[in-house]
Amino acid sequence: MTFWDQAVEIARVDLRIERRIGDVLRIILPFAIIAVLVIPLALGVNLAAISQVGPALFWAIGVLFGMQVALRQAADDRPERRDLYSLLGVDPAARFVGRSLSGSILTAGFMVVLLVATFVLYSPRLPTGWPGPVILALLLTAVGLTELGTLAGEVTSGLRSRTALASLIIAPLAIPLVIGGSQTLESLTRDTSILPWLLLLVATDLALAVAGVALARPLEEASR
Amino acid sequence: MKRVRILMAIAAAAMVAGLYLTLTSPTDRLQGEFTRIVNIHAPSMWVAFLAFGVTALASILWLVRKTDRWDRLAEASVETGVLFTATGLFTGMVWGQAVWGRAWDWADPRMASTAVMFFVYIGYLALRRATPDPVMRARRSAILGAIAVFQVPLVYFSVNLFRSLHQTQSIRPDGATMPDEMVIALLVNFFAFTLLYVALTAARVEVAKAEEAKSSERVPAGDAVATPLLSEVEDV
Repeated sequence: MTFWDQAVEIARVDLRIERRIGDVLRIILPFAIIAVLVIPLALGVNLAAISQVGPALFWAIGVLFGMQVALRQAADDRPERRDLYSLLGVDPAARFVGRSLSGSILTAGFMVVLLVATFVLYSPRLPTGWPGPVILALLLTAVGLTELGTLAGEVTSGLRSRTALASLIIAPLAIPLVIGGSQTLESLTRDTSILPWLLLLVATDLALAVAGVALARPLEEASR
Repeated sequence: MKRVRILMAIAAAAMVAGLYLTLTSPTDRLQGEFTRIVNIHAPSMWVAFLAFGVTALASILWLVRKTDRWDRLAEASVETGVLFTATGLFTGMVWGQAVWGRAWDWADPRMASTAVMFFVYIGYLALRRATPDPVMRARRSAILGAIAVFQVPLVYFSVNLFRSLHQTQSIRPDGATMPDEMVIALLVNFFAFTLLYVALTAARVEVAKAEEAKSSERVPAGDAVATPLLSEVEDV
């Protein structure tokens, strides 16, 4: 099997496990939508304010709950599964790429549903021609978030406080993604170039991908 | 420990010199006495960047060589770096309250990115505390230490990348934007804070060595039922 065959196979296995467990669809997504519902209740019946904060809340909730998607139960391998991968000769870098691939698909799907929910519930005023750039920024954010989640998940694997600790590690490191995503929409509204913000997202994704692949072997040893 | 005491003494002497120059250097016409805070704020942030850079280097060296000394250095450097980041943030907030009229300003990306960097390294320390096995702890924190350093250039260049209230670098290759007396006071403080960082990190490394020696003295029956050391048993 080539490197990419291994990565795709691992992604497929991950998605199959997720389909059976349903962490994202049955727990994280409903919880995120509750968060989208609760905030307007706290703001009061101020339609203008709700409409204005909508896009910012989408990125904040998307990133905070997207972290939970990246840290879902199915993404934490048991020692037996890790040993099996090692015995089968699976490249640790392929494992990182495969896990990032499956996580990115789930996170992107999660964020698209959240975007629709925000659109329906907040009625934000959006500039014309927003869907293309926003979807692109959303996909790049999902990839970066998943790479970060995969790295943090491996570093905290097996610890009792894994979810809280990994969130503490991911949240500050995810700031470039929040800035890139939110400023893309802000730039569209102000009619300025979105290119610097998309480049920030691409650069963050690439830096994390390089770090993940370069540190794949120590990461595998660290998670045992 | 003698080496650490000598380092501490040199650092203390340099800090006294830095403090003297801070108190005697001229002040800015608009900022008044609050100008002097810069002599603590800027060197604190420089030392924080240095500390996190040393952590990244020590982390990479641990991953390559798997030697305990690099893990001890990484841990000591992060602790010192977090202390100086907190000092930099606090002094920045005091200065901001006095000059800008508010301690925290969202229009200053340097402030927000420094706070983010602070929490990244708080996470690093939390990860160390949560991992009981020493080898696993060293490996996991080395990976995080090597990745987390990406925050440093983001914080440093944030004033150039984004529209900001924060002033840009005062000492540049084409000259300084301050009078010579202020530049000298600032440079002496940079030197003194760097020495203080070296002394504190060396002291923390010695503490880590002592902790390791202490824990290896105990037999593996667990802390609660550890057998007494021979030196602790009185002659009957």
